[in-house]
Amino acid sequence: MQLKPIALNVLLGFSLLIASCQEKKNLPFLGPKDTRVVAGKIDTIYHQIPAFRFLNQDSVWVSEQDMAGKIYIADFFFTSCPTICPKMKTQLLRIYERYAENDVIRILSHSIDPTYDTPSVLKQYATRLQVKSPRWNMLTGDKAAIYKLGEKSYMVTAQEDKNEAGGFVHSGAFILVDKNRHIRGIYDGTQEAEVNHLIEDIEILLQEK
Amino acid sequence: MKYLLIISLLILFTSCQSKEEIMYQQYVVEGRSIYEKNCANCHQSDGSGLRDLYPALAKTDLWTRVSPQQLVCIIKQGQKGEIKVNGKSYAGYMPANAKLEAIDIAELITFMKDSWGDKKIYSFNETRAALKNCR
Repeated sequence: MQLKPIALNVLLGFSLLIASCQEKKNLPFLGPKDTRVVAGKIDTIYHQIPAFRFLNQDSVWVSEQDMAGKIYIADFFFTSCPTICPKMKTQLLRIYERYAENDVIRILSHSIDPTYDTPSVLKQYATRLQVKSPRWNMLTGDKAAIYKLGEKSYMVTAQEDKNEAGGFVHSGAFILVDKNRHIRGIYDGTQEAEVNHLIEDIEILLQEK
Repeated sequence: MKYLLIISLLILFTSCQSKEEIMYQQYVVEGRSIYEKNCANCHQSDGSGLRDLYPALAKTDLWTRVSPQQLVCIIKQGQKGEIKVNGKSYAGYMPANAKLEAIDIAELITFMKDSWGDKKIYSFNETRAALKNCR
């Protein structure tokens, strides 16, 4: 079969279109931005997760320094949560399994009920979920510090609410953080399709220099 | 002519479905949506559970070991302390589902029995009686 020139052109156009679609997608930098002038040039300062220090399920301190050069997914939960947390953990397990051999990827699950969720309670939970630190850290610590970090830095809601099942309201968000602690994506951790999207974005971040 | 025959056959078949059969199907359909809303988060849509955290419901000894009367109370009041499913021990707790009424629980148990148990209806009257006997 011989293709007419027009058909060839259309084919070329299509292949160009497809090729351009496959071009590397860049992830945005989320959160408030600031600018400063350095040596006469305007520099953008992106929102960055500040220093933190919490205990994990093995009673080991985890800080921002442990996340240096790591891509991590942050979420907020509590072990006795009867509503969306199990769904979120089911989805996080997919990420944990997928990157089981990748030392760059970390998961930080912050408890919003740190009084009850002591390291030993978190340890039992993690053991039953069959996950380990440092790949998946379940964090507990000063309640005010966790809530402040959640709201001011990760931009999610986390509050005590006696009317809510389990006593807390919180968002089911997963927050994707890059190697420099910039937020690069926020996803609904209760939706499988959204988490597929998150996995695609992790792949993009992994390619980033 | 051919269509007429098919339609009349269909009518014949559906009318052959007994009242009980129709009610059973209704219970299963309603029960499925109650399950999705209240149970699937932890026990998963397919009833496979979540690792050692939340027990499976599908393919377990629950359906021979635990009576529907006991299930009614566990669903309504929750479950505290250690339980064994398929010989494996689970330590957590299950929250109460105080909002579920007798009819919801009847449909829910019928759906679960349809999926994993003996495929028999668990009626509203049986559920109501069981609820009265919960501790």
